[in-house]
This record gives sequence, C-alpha cells and structure tokens, in this order.
Amino acid sequence: MFARSFARLAWLATATAALAVARPGAATAQGITCDKCHGNRDFLVGKGGPQGDSALYVPAGILQDTRHASLRCAQCHVGYDAGYPHRATSRVVPCSTCHAAEARDWEASIHAANAATTGDAPTCVGCHGSHTVYGAADRRSPTHSLNVAALCGRCHADPRITGTYFATADKTRARTAVAHFHKTVHGNALTRAGLVVSATCNDCHEAHKVLPADSTGSSVNRASIPATCGACHVGVAEAYDSSAHGDAYRTGGVTTTGHSAPVCVDCHSAHEIVRADQPQWLLGVVEECGTCHERLYETYFETYHGKVTRLGFNLAASCSDCHTPHNMRPASDTRSSVYAENLVATCGRCHSGANANFVRYQPHGDPKDRAKYPLLFWTWLFMTLLLVSVMAFFLLHTFLWLTRLAINRLRGGGSAHSETQP
Amino acid sequence: MTPRALNASDRGAGPYLWRFTPLQRALHAMVIVSFFGLVITGLPLHFPHAGWARALIRVVGGLHAAGLIHRICAIITFAYFAIHLGTVTYGIVKSGNPKRFFWGPDSMVPQPKDVRDVIQMFKWFFGKGEQPRFDRFSYMEKFDYLGVFWGVAIIGASGLLLWFPEFFAKFLPGWAFNVATIVHGDEALLALSFIFTIHFFNVHLRPEKFPIDLVIFTGRTTTGYMQEEHPLEYERRRASGTLDALTAPPVSRAGYLWSIVLGFASLGLGVFLVILVIWALLH
Repeated sequence: MFARSFARLAWLATATAALAVARPGAATAQGITCDKCHGNRDFLVGKGGPQGDSALYVPAGILQDTRHASLRCAQCHVGYDAGYPHRATSRVVPCSTCHAAEARDWEASIHAANAATTGDAPTCVGCHGSHTVYGAADRRSPTHSLNVAALCGRCHADPRITGTYFATADKTRARTAVAHFHKTVHGNALTRAGLVVSATCNDCHEAHKVLPADSTGSSVNRASIPATCGACHVGVAEAYDSSAHGDAYRTGGVTTTGHSAPVCVDCHSAHEIVRADQPQWLLGVVEECGTCHERLYETYFETYHGKVTRLGFNLAASCSDCHTPHNMRPASDTRSSVYAENLVATCGRCHSGANANFVRYQPHGDPKDRAKYPLLFWTWLFMTLLLVSVMAFFLLHTFLWLTRLAINRLRGGGSAHSETQP
Repeated sequence: MTPRALNASDRGAGPYLWRFTPLQRALHAMVIVSFFGLVITGLPLHFPHAGWARALIRVVGGLHAAGLIHRICAIITFAYFAIHLGTVTYGIVKSGNPKRFFWGPDSMVPQPKDVRDVIQMFKWFFGKGEQPRFDRFSYMEKFDYLGVFWGVAIIGASGLLLWFPEFFAKFLPGWAFNVATIVHGDEALLALSFIFTIHFFNVHLRPEKFPIDLVIFTGRTTTGYMQEEHPLEYERRRASGTLDALTAPPVSRAGYLWSIVLGFASLGLGVFLVILVIWALLH
C-alpha cells in the first residue's frame, strides 16, 4: 500500500513537471503531437489492421477528466513517442508500472491464468476500459458498484463462457449467479434502493484476485468467508467470533456435533442471500440448523413452537429466537442465551411476564424420549393407551353390531327392529 | 305403504313425543358448531407435517385467524358447559327430587343396568339372547355425554393453560405446558375420532337409523321410534300415565329443513375430518 502511494506521488511529481511544458496527450518529447495522426480519421484509413481504423482513432481530449488526465500517451504506449513510422511493436500496456499491487493480485487470479491460455479472461482494460479510466467512485465507470454486476455479467451470464470455464456441476450455478445476485438482499440494495455501500461481485470475490471458492487463496473459500463477510458485517462477525460456531471455526473447524464449523454462507447461502426477517428464510434456516443438530431439530417439532413453524408461519420461536442468530453457545456456558440464569430474559423477549417457573418449559421436550423426559413419556403413553383402548372397544362394538345385523338379515330375520316391529 | 322417512325419528307410528328440550337442542347445536371450529383450527397444528395442514389453515384465513376462531369456539364451549352445569344444579336444587339426577332411568350416571346392557349387547352380537332394551338413555348415549363432560374438562383446562401460559406460570412449573400440549392434542384426537366414527355410527349410520336421526335437532320422535329405541321409557311412562304429557306436534317444514341441512353437513364434515386424520397418521 505504501509502495503504491509512493509510486503515485512520484508520478504526480513527474507529471506536474511535464505539465509545465506541455498538455498531456498533446505533445511528445520530440514535439510531435500524437493527435496530429490519431485525431485524423482520414489519415488512419487502412492503417488499423484487423481491429479496424477506429481502434487507432484517439482524439486529443480523450483523457480529460479521467483518472489518467495527467498522463502522456507514451507513458502507457511505451516507445511510441520515438517518431513515426513507429518502431515500437508492443501492444501490451504496462499498467503494473503504476498499479503494482493490483497487477500482482490479478496475476494470482483465475482471470490471469485463463487470459494467458485462451485470451477470454479480462485483463485491466477489459474491466476498466482503455482511455476512459474514471475510477470506481465515478458513476460512469464500469467498475462503479452500481455497474459491477453488469460488467461481470458480460462474461459470467454468457453460456459460452460459463460452459467453457466451469466444471459441469457448476455450469448452471455459474451462469445464473449474476441473475440470482439481483434477487438477493445485496442485489436489491444496489438495484432497487440504489445503495452504493451494498456488496456487489468484487466485494466478496475481490476485484483483482478473483479465484474459485475451492482455491485456498480465494476470498470466498470457506476459510476466508467470516473475514470476507465480516469486512462489512462487523457486528455480526463479533457475535460469530464469540459463538460456539466461531470457536470451532478458529480451532480447526470441527464442532461438538462432529461437523465442520458453519460459516456465514452455510446458513445464508451465497447467491441466494435473502433478508433474515423474511419468513422463507426463517423457516429455511431451521432446516439448516437441523442438518447438524438432528436431534434438536426433531424434538423442536414435537413442541408448539415447532408445530407452528412447520405449518409455515413465522409466529412462534425458531432456533435463532432462543439461541440467538450468531452468538449461540451451549446451555452450560454462562454467556449463552439459554444458560439457566439467562432464560427468564430470553423467554421474556416474546413472553412478557415469564418467570422462573415459566422457563422450566422444555422447548425440546420429546414424549418419545423416556430417559430424558419421563413425565412427558408417561403422559403420552397414558393418553395414547386411552385413545387406543376406547377406539378399539367401540370399533369392535360397531363391527360386531354390523356383523350381527348382517347375519340376521341373511337368516331372513330382518336387520332392524324398525322393520320387524309393528 | 309410505316411503321410508329420511329421518330415523320420523319412522314408525305416531303421535310425536318430546325427547329433548329446546335448551338441550340449543346446547347440542353449540357443541356441534364449536367442536367443528376447534377441530378444523386445531387439527393442522396437531399434524403440521400432513399435506393438508397448510391448506386447511389457509382455508380458515391463516394462523392468526385460526387461533382466533379456536379461542372463540373455546369460549362457546365454556359457555355451554357452564349453562349445562347451571341448569343441572338448578334442577337438583329446585326440582324437589335431586335423587333422580344421580340415580334412576333419567340420570346420566352409569348404573348396574348399563353394565348388564353392555354384557347383553355382546351376547346378542354372538347370537346368544335378545338385544338389550334401553330406558331413556342407553349406555352408548351415557358414554357420549360423559365423554364430552370429561373431554371439555380436560381439553378445556389444558387449553386454558396453553392460552395463558404467563399467568399459569405464576403457580405451575413450565413443564406443565409440555404436559398440557400432549394432553390437549391427544384428548382432542380421541374426541374427534370417537364422535366422527362411533357416535356417528351409533346415532346415525347403523342400518336401523341410516342415514340420519334428527331427534337432537327437532327434539321429537314418533311413538314407534320410542318403542324401538327406548322401549323401557315408553312402557314406564305409559304405565305411570306421563306419556300423554310428552305429546308433541310434528316439526315445522322450516325446522325440518334446517335440521336436515345441519345434520348432513355435520355428518359430511365429520367424516371428512376423520379421513384427514387417517391420512396424517398413515403418512
């Protein structure tokens, strides 16, 4: 970072000195102006080669109010200031001269690897443009946060690109990633609410060091997810860090249930992130918790809370209401929302007036679990036996009644006394 | 020969005799309406995993509406229970003959004759002897009545606990709500299973009565029906000369139509709900 700032400073100094003698882009050291030829369409006819003449057409004021307004043509087009016809042949523009850190990140990215082999992947100008480089804060820039999804979508929503560069299993997901993003809370914030601070592609995937999630160096690798999301969601990251999940994440990734520690995307998914106060999410997250906490999941649905949730209504407590969304800890932990002494407060969030008696409710009480909940087991057994015996007795009563009437009718005695009596 | 009347209590020779008072009929109508309301809104919560559960909740207007209907029907239930207890208590105190509420042919209390009737019924099932002859209330009707009595007390009490948990937690431990949840749901399941199968069969669907017996709506039966269903009461009253006092006019056309509609709608809805329960239990 410091090196980059220094390079910029050095640059500014040089550029300011240059300004004293010439307008940028207007003159070279030899006094020949580039735009004399490159601003003259007639002159350029037939010289553009396969890319066409307009690729060479660069009018004088093109860098005005760009971030490169102070640059001279030859600073990027190295060697082209040595007279005409140009002896220089390089088409590579050395952005890394100034943007060293960004260049290093890009070199490490999947884009660089693919660019080297196939030429499909974006280089600097692919995203930032060539002459009209405005900087990400400028609304006109393709890298402005409101434009990034469209920029990435140019390739990542293109079936040819995703079909070529993504593994078979990931093709559909890759092609729909940008479309899904627009439906997420992040995408909605950008496109509907116009919030430029909301996350777009590069906030999670990085701008330059773009790597697939299974690469260890990737910002969206499981190991990096809490830090990546936590960069914006600072408060959530703090709560997660102090949770049982956060503990497991830091100490090797295995939780007390024997599963790998959940990170943000396990509950919130990646490209289907929906607002956490939406019913569909609150109901879905119970399923998420249940993938590791199987027993608690089953017993939850034995209770009133669980049954209401199962019906599709977000009106009764679900996992995160009692255990907190991010700061969940075992009941034995004094910091836990379900630690005995904290229960009155936790239950009281919904049940105003909850007291010490009230919190002796068993929110995972399972009547089938005789060892853990004997009273519920015996209650359930008594009620079930009552139901079964009453119904069995009277169904037998009914069956025998019908049988007797049928037998009487077959014997010609008449089935009902209404037909036999006067 | 006149065609067989649709209503079982219209069959047989006249004249009509009163069997149920307007208050008893009104209370039974309250039982029907409130019980259906309670079952329809409670069943999805008992079987939330069933495919029909969410649809049924949607039909009644969502969970909030279901909860409201359930509580309104609970209040109706408490109301008919209180009215009945009140009138019985009033009768015991004011009638000058309190004993007949607790013993004898007019009492709902099970008696040695009821045990003998059950045994006699089973003997008849197996071809040994005649069908028992009933007085004012058969053992099946007493079981229906006492079942509702027990059911309202148990389901009502556990329901109140679950309705006002914060209040009851002032003197009950929290696990009482776990127990109340089990008792409330399972007792309700027993109630609806019994009423929509056994009660329906005994009262409406058995061949002697099929397809319906509207006596609980019209309040009156033919003399012939009395002689078949409650022969001992008929003979007792004829012997004591109290039979003529029961003579009733035929039910009005409107009253009959209302009874038919309410009766068949209840039968159909009850059978439908039992099918839902069986569905849920099988899946």
